[in-house]
Amino acid sequence: MFKSGIFNIFLTLLIQIKGDDFKEEIFIKPLPPSHLYVDFHFITLVNGEESFEHSYLAPRSLGEIMSRYQVDELHLTLTEGQWKHNQWGYPVLDAAPGAELYAWFNTDVIDVDIQWKKLSSTLSGLFCASLNFIETFNTITPKMSLWPTGAQKPKQNYTSQLRYASLPREIVCTENLTPWKKLLPCESTHGFSSLLNSRMIHNTNYHSIGVHVRRMCVDNNCLETNLEIKQTVALVYDFKIINSMDWSFRKLFGQGLPGACPLSSSSKIYVDTTSNSTYRFKLTPEPNLILLSQRGGSETELAVYNINNSIMMNIVAKYETKSKLFVNIPPPLSFTRYVLGYGKEFGGIVTELTNNYWAPIDVVLLENAPWWLPIQLSSLRVNGEAESKLILSQYYSPGRSRQKPYHLELLLHLPPKSTTTLTIDFEFVFLKWQEYPPDANHGFYIGSALISANLPTAKNYTSLPITGNTFDSIVNASKPWYPMVFRTNGAMVSLPTPDFSMPYNVICLACTVVALAFGPLNNICTKELVLKAPGTSISLRQKILNMFKKKKD
Amino acid sequence: MIQLNIFSFSLIFSLLFTISITNAIEIPEKFQKSNHTNNWAVLVDTSRFWFNYRHVANVLSIYRSVKRLGIPDSQIILMISDDMACNPRNPRPATIFNNAHEQINVYGDDVEVDYRGYEVSVENFVRLLTGRVPPDTPRSKRLLTDEGSNILIYLTGHGGDGFLKFQDSEEITSQELADALEQMWQKRRYNEIFFIIDTCQASSMYEKFYSPNILATASSLVGEDSLSHHVDSAIGVYIIDRYTYYVLEFLENVHPNSKKTMSEFLAVCPKSACLSTVGVRRDLFKRDPSKVPITDFFGSVRPVIITTDPIDIQEIPKRRKSQSINKTKVPEKREYLPQFPMHLVQTNNY
Repeated sequence: MFKSGIFNIFLTLLIQIKGDDFKEEIFIKPLPPSHLYVDFHFITLVNGEESFEHSYLAPRSLGEIMSRYQVDELHLTLTEGQWKHNQWGYPVLDAAPGAELYAWFNTDVIDVDIQWKKLSSTLSGLFCASLNFIETFNTITPKMSLWPTGAQKPKQNYTSQLRYASLPREIVCTENLTPWKKLLPCESTHGFSSLLNSRMIHNTNYHSIGVHVRRMCVDNNCLETNLEIKQTVALVYDFKIINSMDWSFRKLFGQGLPGACPLSSSSKIYVDTTSNSTYRFKLTPEPNLILLSQRGGSETELAVYNINNSIMMNIVAKYETKSKLFVNIPPPLSFTRYVLGYGKEFGGIVTELTNNYWAPIDVVLLENAPWWLPIQLSSLRVNGEAESKLILSQYYSPGRSRQKPYHLELLLHLPPKSTTTLTIDFEFVFLKWQEYPPDANHGFYIGSALISANLPTAKNYTSLPITGNTFDSIVNASKPWYPMVFRTNGAMVSLPTPDFSMPYNVICLACTVVALAFGPLNNICTKELVLKAPGTSISLRQKILNMFKKKKD
Repeated sequence: MIQLNIFSFSLIFSLLFTISITNAIEIPEKFQKSNHTNNWAVLVDTSRFWFNYRHVANVLSIYRSVKRLGIPDSQIILMISDDMACNPRNPRPATIFNNAHEQINVYGDDVEVDYRGYEVSVENFVRLLTGRVPPDTPRSKRLLTDEGSNILIYLTGHGGDGFLKFQDSEEITSQELADALEQMWQKRRYNEIFFIIDTCQASSMYEKFYSPNILATASSLVGEDSLSHHVDSAIGVYIIDRYTYYVLEFLENVHPNSKKTMSEFLAVCPKSACLSTVGVRRDLFKRDPSKVPITDFFGSVRPVIITTDPIDIQEIPKRRKSQSINKTKVPEKREYLPQFPMHLVQTNNY
């Protein structure tokens, strides 16, 4: 114990000399009346711009990928479940169901597509995910909706270095969490990551693991940058699954918190107690600090726990009033998406954007349809009209069969207190026999649409400001705009799927019919029917002839 | 050089006595020892859909055992066609059990699946074995074996006489599998292979093998079905197959240092327990299974060389310092970008 303590101190010293910095944070927000949002953030800051020949706290396996493929910024999320924006408000970082990967490559990279393919294949090995299914036919280059969150050299063309792909069918399970945990300096032995017990975190309504790498300014001058590697886990617990509204670490994670990771410079737990005024609950033990934050017209109260020892602790929240009617106040911007149509020929995708705020909101909507679901710009209707003043700018890139997806981006100006309905038609395409997946009758997934919004208010907004990397940065961080990239729900269509056993059935049936028909036909054609009175004797010549006939047969 | 001698020697031996190798001629003790240098495992579950839960449990049982006995995750290629652990129908997420009493969670907390879902196809499987993978394939999806590798191949799924179905949409025939193994032999990708298959009419899959140094076992003979062990009424499906259930029971008692032999493994599921006859093919295998320790295939070699003399470590060539250090770098000012196309909005709004 003593030895390991000294070792830890030594390690911490060594790391502080090198300047690598590791922080861990948990953000807990009750989503009344029935859910609880838990968000883990593990932030590693790497000093300088050197390559990853040596690394201290940062995962070398990831760092090598970044430097080898010259990636400036990387975002990877693996998500199971759908975040319900209307009910739960906004998450810190939104993620599309399934796997989602986007990256900005360095401007020195000439052939981005080749690097992109290599990057996705390599990451598929690192995270045990099928990211190697990312090909040119499901990759797009968003023009307006995604912007690098890291510090960038000015006046460069970032857009052409960006690639985006999502795999809505991707499953997320323990095998993805295991390699993810191995990237952390304490792995899953110490600190907050030891709470990530796969049996508990997969027992949630929504879980999303992510890795986000970007460059951060060291100071306001921004002549030097650090590499920030942020690993996140977002969980939404259902009170029905944990059987009560009162929650505790033991109930959520199956164990108490064994203290901070010895390598971290700060380990903090933030509990959003804003809902305490309506849904009164009591936290034990008492928080170290209560933070009040005013940001963009909304007030947030945060209870902060500073963890700096390795004593087992268990944070418990006990609700005082159990039954209360709950009024759900929708967030400023909400949206839904669904598929229209019947039959196997045509269909349509509808995206409804609702602005609940009293001021207009500008959004960029990105529709990304696979090649087997062609969407035509000519069929785009905004509130039923082909021409609309709401569209400020648009970009459309038609797909090509088996090569390129359909990509539509619209910059929309949503009027206050209104719902805008966008409809676009698609037609179904016949796939080749080999292109159908083994479970073709299950249906085909369409990825989420991206909605990049410039929110004028911070209501329900929990994301960090772009300059911050820890949760303290949201305190009083009022800005003119609160940008956020949302993902709508995905959709599913059933393509015209052939009966795969049909060829076999046809062969069997046809053979039977042919066999049945051939026998009598052959008999009729080859045999001569001779009428013979019974009892007539056969001549000797006839007898000999009959013998020959039999032999021939 | 010595290794090569032993190798060629054993080859001559095998050529001379292939037919009557069983018990008629004693093979010298020296040649009974394996000279493999590393261990690999390829574990494949070929069935999709929830009702095939038992096949995933099968493959994970073997995964658990080989991992426990010392083969590292980097040398285990695990292929699972469908996600059972996090399937919405699974009432106990992130777990897969080997029996209804939930004794062993074979999924564990640190499973690494290399090929999953649609990636499990005949093409990928044959490419993996023969090493003809696409150039960008990561290390974890390659079988990086050499002529010193002992490989354990375990297949489970639905099969018939001479084929094994993959994902209900394609199948690998016994001839294709035999040819793939022959290609591996010609490319010197293995030293010895232990081939296990748990499927209906399983022994038909190894009958076509013609490459040397393969010991094969199957859960049933041609004309027999391999049966499942029992139903877990909580999840409504059969939970594991009989053969693998007894194999896991046997392997749970094996430890990295235990002296159990392959012949004990080959006798693991008698007909009274399996309800099918376990088939064994040993004519391609040069050694006597009763003298081969089970850890030759299920464990991992960790070569240790004990030396009493000091070793002269030659000076390691120093890495060339990257040239960027010599260049005087002009610090360039960076900035955060607005997260929205403001230039398109402002002209219209403000």
